Amino acid sequence: MMSAEHTPETMISVPDAPNSGTRDGSASDRAPRKRRSWARELSLLPAIVFVGIIGFALSANFLTVNNLLNNVLVTSSVLAVLVVAESVILISGNFDLSLEAHVSLAPMIAIWLVTSQVGGGSGWGWSPWAAIIASVVAAVAVGLLNGLLVGKLGLNAFIVTLAMLILLQGVTTGISGGATYAELPESFVVLGSARFLGLSVQVWIALLVIAGAAVFMTRFPLGRKIYATGGNIQAAAAAGIRTKRLTVGVFVAGALLAALAGFMLTGRIASVTATQGDGIIFTVFAASVIGGISLDGGRGSIVGSALGVLLLGMIQNILTLSNIPSFWINASYGLIILAALVLNYGTSLRTRSTR
Amino acid sequence: MPAGQDATVPAVDDAEHSISAVGIQKTYGSARALDGANLRVRSGESRALLGRNGAGKSTLIGVLTGLVQPDEGTVRIRRADGSFPAGATTGAATGAIACVYQRSTLVDSLSAAENISLRAHPRTRWGAVDWKRLRHTGGDLLEQWGFAQLRDREAGTLEPLERKVVEVCRAMVTEPRILLLDEPTAGLDEGATQQLFSQIEAAKARGVTILYVSHHLAEVFEICDTVTILRDGRDVLTKPTSELSIESIVTAMSGTSPAAGADRGDVSTAARTRVDPAKPAVLQVRDVCVDGRVSGVSFDAPAGAAVGLTGLNGAGHVQIGQVIAGQISAARGHVAVKGRRVQAQVADAIRAGVGFVPEDRHVDGFVPGMTVVENATLSILGELITPVGTIDTRRRASHYARQATAWMIKAQPSQNAEELSGGNQQKVVLARALASDPDVLVAINPTAGVDVTAKDSIYTSLAELRDAGKTLLIVSTDDDDLAFCDQVLVMVKGRLDSRIDAGYDEDELIAAVQGVHRNTPAAANQDNNSVTGAFEARTPSHPLSSEETT
Repeated sequence: MMSAEHTPETMISVPDAPNSGTRDGSASDRAPRKRRSWARELSLLPAIVFVGIIGFALSANFLTVNNLLNNVLVTSSVLAVLVVAESVILISGNFDLSLEAHVSLAPMIAIWLVTSQVGGGSGWGWSPWAAIIASVVAAVAVGLLNGLLVGKLGLNAFIVTLAMLILLQGVTTGISGGATYAELPESFVVLGSARFLGLSVQVWIALLVIAGAAVFMTRFPLGRKIYATGGNIQAAAAAGIRTKRLTVGVFVAGALLAALAGFMLTGRIASVTATQGDGIIFTVFAASVIGGISLDGGRGSIVGSALGVLLLGMIQNILTLSNIPSFWINASYGLIILAALVLNYGTSLRTRSTR
Repeated sequence: MPAGQDATVPAVDDAEHSISAVGIQKTYGSARALDGANLRVRSGESRALLGRNGAGKSTLIGVLTGLVQPDEGTVRIRRADGSFPAGATTGAATGAIACVYQRSTLVDSLSAAENISLRAHPRTRWGAVDWKRLRHTGGDLLEQWGFAQLRDREAGTLEPLERKVVEVCRAMVTEPRILLLDEPTAGLDEGATQQLFSQIEAAKARGVTILYVSHHLAEVFEICDTVTILRDGRDVLTKPTSELSIESIVTAMSGTSPAAGADRGDVSTAARTRVDPAKPAVLQVRDVCVDGRVSGVSFDAPAGAAVGLTGLNGAGHVQIGQVIAGQISAARGHVAVKGRRVQAQVADAIRAGVGFVPEDRHVDGFVPGMTVVENATLSILGELITPVGTIDTRRRASHYARQATAWMIKAQPSQNAEELSGGNQQKVVLARALASDPDVLVAINPTAGVDVTAKDSIYTSLAELRDAGKTLLIVSTDDDDLAFCDQVLVMVKGRLDSRIDAGYDEDELIAAVQGVHRNTPAAANQDNNSVTGAFEARTPSHPLSSEETT
């Protein structure tokens, strides 16, 4: 074959021919795989049950309705929204470290516009809702800039979003001047205090975001185009998908969700600080990957990564309840994440070999 | 004198030889790749190894370089230290032949000198890289090849010719006596090609034995002393270049006898009515230029016909296919389908009615990790939806079921596409191209890397599409693909050079891609701007009459 980019008659071409014939036959008679894909999505369930049993054994307080609903789920909600945002970006074959910065930046911009100069704000006296909308617009602008730099200019996503993370954290610190804002308007804390059907509204928002994203990514054409772009960007382009535009859109959506996570966190802790959410991006990546999202793009599911969040949330709760000295909690947490990744690798190997 | 006279000469003095391969047999499954092939090359000689796809070239090269173990036969290769294994051995020592393949293997971010020593960095006593020796080694080799100034340049900044020279130097770093060049001029312009040739001449003068593999026959006459032609796994001819012409090489490569064209009459009647110029054109390509690749190509294709587009490596036929599909943009000119101009965007090409099978299914064909049904409907994802905007899985399933029947895809719809055999993967890519129900199907290498059964089933389906009134443009260099077409357009060096009707003799096509026309005087080669005019003047002629051309 004398195609433009290929060696005519590569060495492999001859011995390959008899092989493909036999593979043909074995590939054809295989059972439907619908059920198996569900099994893969829920592959973390046994681990969750196992961790639950350990938690029960370690502390009588763990397996109580109050602890599970008001501690584990509530503290995991912010993480869950961020993980959904990062998962969509990872599935599209990209990468965004700067999501973490929105967690502090969005509430900070809003509170700064609202607060008087005496209170450390702009003194412009914006109405809370106008301020929230302005901060969301800022988040969209950041997502757009990330998307254009990565999607259109083709710059490396890791470096672009790392620089963006440093820049945005600096902006947040600059705006606040290091101050903590504890006097918040009612509309800022409603996301933390409101309850619905006995559950914090935080949990409902997280569930809604997870369900919405899961349906969007599996049932809607745009979601499938995101999978196709992450799975093989050239094939997606050859099928007529506007991959650059899609990349920009994914970054914008991620920034929006991250800003929402920021307001959720502010509602929960009833204050705004420049350091809120610092370091959470590493947990976000850990949860996504434990939940089965591929860093190479195109693989994994929203439901899977949500279960990853639940698992990490349970582990963190158990560590807090347990007798581990507080200074060692982080080290234990890191060790467990590492173990989870290795275990997950083992199970994914097994699913691959059962083909 | 019978063909292959040299091969039958009894064992020559070994002291003179660098390569001696005798009676090589190699079978893959039921396919016989080599059937008693012989190759003897004297030291300091430059030998062209020619043959069509599937003639056994790759396997023979594999045997010589030690990558392929022959079933039978003896191989002796002169080692880098000058020794020639005395006894007959099977299999060759790897590294005795310096190989330079078409695909670049340079690391762009490293200097030319480091690329040259990459496989074995010279070390200091302490185990660190000996940079002084590394630059010395690279510098010396580059100087031999006339490019000493490249030593400290980063490989990524080099021109195509400079890259090729660095590749050659890297292959020569172990100082082998034999250099294998596989399509070394691909991607080089005329001036660079001549520069490379003069360096190859200089290497020959230094005693390097050259084994030259190329589809460009004209080059063989410039650079090679002798030619060996393989056909069906055998060496059918070995002769000095001076005793050969492009014509005689083509005849030996194809092995067709003049009688082979006997049945062309009835084949082409049906084919010719299908490509009747009086029929309205569905696909119009007008004066398309692609920088450095294609200059001013125009042609029409009517409904219900299969038009082939072919050429040698880098002739520009692949780019034409990509322009029509909107994958790359033309610097000048345009493409129209049913009178509507197509923008340089795949999505717009699909809207205009173009279905597209990309060049390499592994690169831009299918998405691994997605199911067969999703891959097959990727190009119409936004169309099969319910009123609320979700994907209508039932409609998608029935759409896929129709395609699966039409293409005889043997796979579960919910199966991961990467688990399929090559043939079924290719059918999925074909199904995707047709999912939007296009008027024109542009298929680049539609049967590449698929087995014979899958190939036949693809042709059956393509024939049904053609009979249903679709316009097929098959961009390929595969003989079977082109034989399926009603008419084949041949490109030479970025220009449309000739047009051959179905039922052609094989050697007519082989000669055409070289830019050699058997029945038109050489002057016609120059005048390839007005293609249409040139074709109509040409009449089919007896292959033997072509002897007069040379």
